[in-house]
Amino acid sequence: MSDVLTRDMKTFKRTREIRSTDILFAIANRPDRQSVLLGSSDSGVYELDLTVEKPERIKFSGPGHRSYVTGIAVMDSQAVSCGYDGQLVWWDLQTRQAIRTIDAHDKWIRRLMSVPSRNAFVSVADDMRCRVWDAGSGERIADFTDHKAMTEHHFPSMLYAVAASPDGRWIATGDRVGHIAIWDTQTWAKKAELEAPVMYTWDPKARRHSIGGIRSLAFSPDSSQLAVGGTGKINNIDHLEGRSRLEVFDWHKGTRLHEFEDEKRKGLVEQIVWIPGTTWILAVGGDNKGFLTFFDTATNTMLHQDGCEGHIHGVTWDANVASLLVAAHERVEVWSWEKTAV
Amino acid sequence: MKIDPSVCLTRRRLLGAAAIGASGMAANMAQVELLSQPAFAEQLQQADKSVILLWLAGGASQLETWDPKPGRPTGGPFAKIQTCIPGIEISELLPKMSSRLHETAIIRSLNTKIADHGQAYEVMDTGRIREPGVQFPHLGAIIAHELANSHSDVPDYVEMYTSTEGRRKGAAGYLGARYNPMFLTESMMPENLKRLESIRDADHQERADLQRYLSQQFSMKLRNPIVDSHNTAFQRVRGLMSSDYLFDIERESRAMRDHYGPTQFGEQCLIARRLAEAGVPFVKVARAWWDSHGQNFETHQELCADLDFVMAALLDDLKQRGMLERTLVITLGEFGRTPQINGSLGRDHFASAWSCTLSGCGIRGGSVYGKTDEDGKTVVEGETNAGDLFATILAALGIDPKKEIMLGSRPIPLADFGSKPIQEILA
Repeated sequence: MSDVLTRDMKTFKRTREIRSTDILFAIANRPDRQSVLLGSSDSGVYELDLTVEKPERIKFSGPGHRSYVTGIAVMDSQAVSCGYDGQLVWWDLQTRQAIRTIDAHDKWIRRLMSVPSRNAFVSVADDMRCRVWDAGSGERIADFTDHKAMTEHHFPSMLYAVAASPDGRWIATGDRVGHIAIWDTQTWAKKAELEAPVMYTWDPKARRHSIGGIRSLAFSPDSSQLAVGGTGKINNIDHLEGRSRLEVFDWHKGTRLHEFEDEKRKGLVEQIVWIPGTTWILAVGGDNKGFLTFFDTATNTMLHQDGCEGHIHGVTWDANVASLLVAAHERVEVWSWEKTAV
Repeated sequence: MKIDPSVCLTRRRLLGAAAIGASGMAANMAQVELLSQPAFAEQLQQADKSVILLWLAGGASQLETWDPKPGRPTGGPFAKIQTCIPGIEISELLPKMSSRLHETAIIRSLNTKIADHGQAYEVMDTGRIREPGVQFPHLGAIIAHELANSHSDVPDYVEMYTSTEGRRKGAAGYLGARYNPMFLTESMMPENLKRLESIRDADHQERADLQRYLSQQFSMKLRNPIVDSHNTAFQRVRGLMSSDYLFDIERESRAMRDHYGPTQFGEQCLIARRLAEAGVPFVKVARAWWDSHGQNFETHQELCADLDFVMAALLDDLKQRGMLERTLVITLGEFGRTPQINGSLGRDHFASAWSCTLSGCGIRGGSVYGKTDEDGKTVVEGETNAGDLFATILAALGIDPKKEIMLGSRPIPLADFGSKPIQEILA
């Protein structure tokens, strides 16, 4: 990704929009082709070839999901998807066929990702468990939690976010009420805890329920910092009207290094991407619409921001970091930037 | 039947007569004749009936409760589950209720047309569209008017609405202040109910007697139904003052309080049961706020968990006490939510095809009335408006929905003109 330093952020713009009627929650690069895998609200996993002018989605077949597909991770010649049906499904990328289905969690699986340097995937779900799976065999390697099933107000909590550090040593999990735990993948023991309570709004009087939660986590390239995404406090919890919020921790010390609250773009930070070789963070998400915001942790400033017509649920860079591929509400978008003039 | 509200035979008069009849019926043949009259028999049939309205303020999603459409673009992520009634499925968010549908009828075909909170609230409160110059009574007032017993020491109509969003106090309209609700907002214990310590009980009684005397003198010279209504309300003050124990759930066992759970909604429904048990004809418990424009699915995971647990607890408790056959439990809001899922994963206001439930008294449990299309966008069978729903509620309680109240010279039926009870869900 070092190529990113040759890109001119001022030229960052949407270059393509592919509309659909479903909600796209997950997106992953297919490394052997210029195509992406998509997870849909229609329970399907799709491949979309971006090299053609009018791409048509190809649906993967076999026993798949029975509810929204909320995460996809690719490893070698296979992909794994997760969904609100509590299942993990392994897919053969060559045949686009399901090869394994596992009842992985008792409730909605919110996020799935591969664990670098390990042949494994990690998933988190509303049963408040974090589970690690062997990518080859599908066997469960580890199962742990530090998250309460109920909020202090007696309502079900949710475990939204998980991240694995780039070196594969650490896993972080974050829940609805703002609790974060960091785990050692060598022992599966809890290494640290953090709190980001601003991201959870409980309305005790006007509406008497809650909104928010930690929706995204990402370790810095050197694994020393952890970025946490969600939303700020919300006055009217009928809507996602809170400022999008990002906090960055030195998680070893337990200290908060940065807080970004965006007055212009409201809603949830659904995904955080650290840009290797830089001090930049890309945060995406939205309310009824979407946003893409670059922050610089060195200067504690916003570098660039753009809007998207649909709430963004997930993004992935192409292999050259020339284009950002976006999964959003009823659309796929491609955002690109030009190389800096020499 | 046309009845002037000032002279109509109400349950309180009936029970007063019945109480006399119990001790001296043989000596009072006029009352024996009264008991043989159909209207009187109807009143007897209504004795001790109550309504507990679980008001889902803000508008719960029918798709996440009683009319799920999984697998459709509008269906959302939740599955449907089989209930204890073969062929009837509801959202997986209501697992406890799925095993208790024996006592419950679902109406899936409400089309009340108005999707603005304020106006929709009024329609679902009164069972009809607003009419200039007429203050229609709310459902609670109608029920209180029909079922209340003036000899009772308990209130006729209690509303609990502790959240602030969407809070609106019920109104008796042209039925008069006598049928306005006891409205609890900040505390579950009625405020200003206790006698001031600075006033002795004897003094309080004397003040009440003086007020009654002066009111009677006033009324003799100027007959006015509004004054009469206020006087009637005043006459009940001392009875109401002695009913504060009904709101004290500390008097319930720990096991019973656990049965209703730790949430405020649970505690309020336990109070509602205590009130119904003591003879309060109408209790409304508002559970706000379902207005899930953003994050509809998270909101319904929270609120449906509360509704499912508490509603199941309430029905079980009523049944175990032998009260369910005389208590009608209603779940209703001002409207439902759009089938279309918006960009915030929310659902917006929708009044064209939504659901409610009726359980217990007078209801044919395990039934479903009406049908929406496969995406839940329109009603395709059994379209039901607010008037029809009111007529059904009244009929379930044994009250004639066509019974007319005279507003001056104008007869107004209890349920809106042209409305009909849904016979298919009546026992």
